[in-house]
Amino acid sequence: MIKLFFTLFLMFFLQSCSKGLFNGDVQKNLKAMDKIHGVCNNPYREYNKAQRKICEDKERAAGPDGEIGEPLNISQIIRDFRSGGTSTQYQGTSMSVNKNLWEASLIMLDQYPLNIVDSQGGFISTDWITEKESPNQRCLIKVKITSQELLSNGAKVKLLCEQKELDSWYQDEISYTEEEKNLTLKILDIANELSLIDKLS
Amino acid sequence: MKKLLIAISAIAAAVGFTAKANADISVSGSSNAAYLSTAGNGDDEELAVGTTVDFSMSTTTSTGLGISAGLSLSTDYDSNNSDTATGGRTATFTTGGATIVVGDVEISDTVGSVGGVVNGPLDDASDLSSSVATGFLDDDGMGVELTTAMGEASLNISFVSNDRVDNHGALNSSTSGEDSAMSASITMPMGDYSFTIGVADSDSGESSSGASASASIGGGTLTVGYSNQTLIASGNSSLSTAGDSEVVGATYVMSMDADTTISLGYQSAKDADSESHTQTDLSVERAMGGGATVYLDLRNLDGDTASNADGTAIAFGTSVAF
Repeated sequence: MIKLFFTLFLMFFLQSCSKGLFNGDVQKNLKAMDKIHGVCNNPYREYNKAQRKICEDKERAAGPDGEIGEPLNISQIIRDFRSGGTSTQYQGTSMSVNKNLWEASLIMLDQYPLNIVDSQGGFISTDWITEKESPNQRCLIKVKITSQELLSNGAKVKLLCEQKELDSWYQDEISYTEEEKNLTLKILDIANELSLIDKLS
Repeated sequence: MKKLLIAISAIAAAVGFTAKANADISVSGSSNAAYLSTAGNGDDEELAVGTTVDFSMSTTTSTGLGISAGLSLSTDYDSNNSDTATGGRTATFTTGGATIVVGDVEISDTVGSVGGVVNGPLDDASDLSSSVATGFLDDDGMGVELTTAMGEASLNISFVSNDRVDNHGALNSSTSGEDSAMSASITMPMGDYSFTIGVADSDSGESSSGASASASIGGGTLTVGYSNQTLIASGNSSLSTAGDSEVVGATYVMSMDADTTISLGYQSAKDADSESHTQTDLSVERAMGGGATVYLDLRNLDGDTASNADGTAIAFGTSVAF
């Protein structure tokens, strides 16, 4: 029996790719069986007794044509709070821009104070960013999400920088195309990872 | 200015780690309150109130492997002052091609044994009790469970290495009573129908096989099933003769409108002692919005039962999902 135990482990590692045998998709099959058995009574879903109770209560509350709501996500709330307090915009209302691009933008700008966070308009602007070593220079980053789909041209980044001369700030009128391009690519990179995580969860 | 630009550009390199470490902790819960007219001694009228909170933790590695675990706190509604923490005895690993659970797993020894549709309080506390032996004496323990997809079909293989322990113990125990068990089941869609077949076997000497079929008929979902279980008498208080138990059952679930569901269930079972029972279930549920539901459940049990444990039990209550 022990050999069988390790055989099962081996099967798992052999299966550790994106698809099962004959191009099978576990999540897709689970959803198909949910329609027959219901989510809570689907024999292939893993629930302990407590989880099943909650699932059944949710399923009943949703009604025959309803969707079972997502559980309260503490981590998401904390992330949103840290990145500008937009958590309430995720709950209950559908966003007008792509969620992954939006979250990726917030993650990328996480370490800077945000001045404008408009989830419906898909616009984020940081406050002025200054460095201790360069007190006479400051920059801000604007991100505009323009698409509801995860597209390569769905995010636009603008970098604005100013220089201080005689206690007044003046725009430096320099083009930062390369930096803007790098930041855009990073947003797309993170958004792709978030999308992959969504698909697997 | 160059220093500042370098600092900003460095964001791009740094934030990649943030995206990969995408751990989540989710919490969900529900509460139930029900009036029960039980069928047990004295035909008690009971009030059953309970609450359950579940914490789920998950993360995804940079290679796309999902890992999750969870723990639940509950005050069960089927007994007095039963505050318990459950779960936490499994770890689940998920890829696009397979899900594997390690720890306290349960084998599928009752595939095809259908017929129950009442939920929660009535299912747990009706005081109805059949004398018919069904299901293995011990069908869970420390082991591993694999679910994978083969095209449109889903395959589940569960293996319990030691049925006396759950999350820590000997894998290769030779101690008497520490048995291993295994089950395999497969579900295949065929047009409007879905078929499930399964087999299970335990080193204790018990085995089972069964099948069920589901289909959308008349605006609802009909499921019929048959299960045959070869059970041992030793240690089984419901059985004096080792042999086969058979369970035949059906359920029908139908939506009356957008918020109302009606479910019917029937089950007939017979064991090697030639004892048998017939169980009939009815459940009507109506979603009230805001996570609340009211329901009326009814269960009737006839046949060979424990003393004063047959008849009809009713529950009327509400459940609220948070």
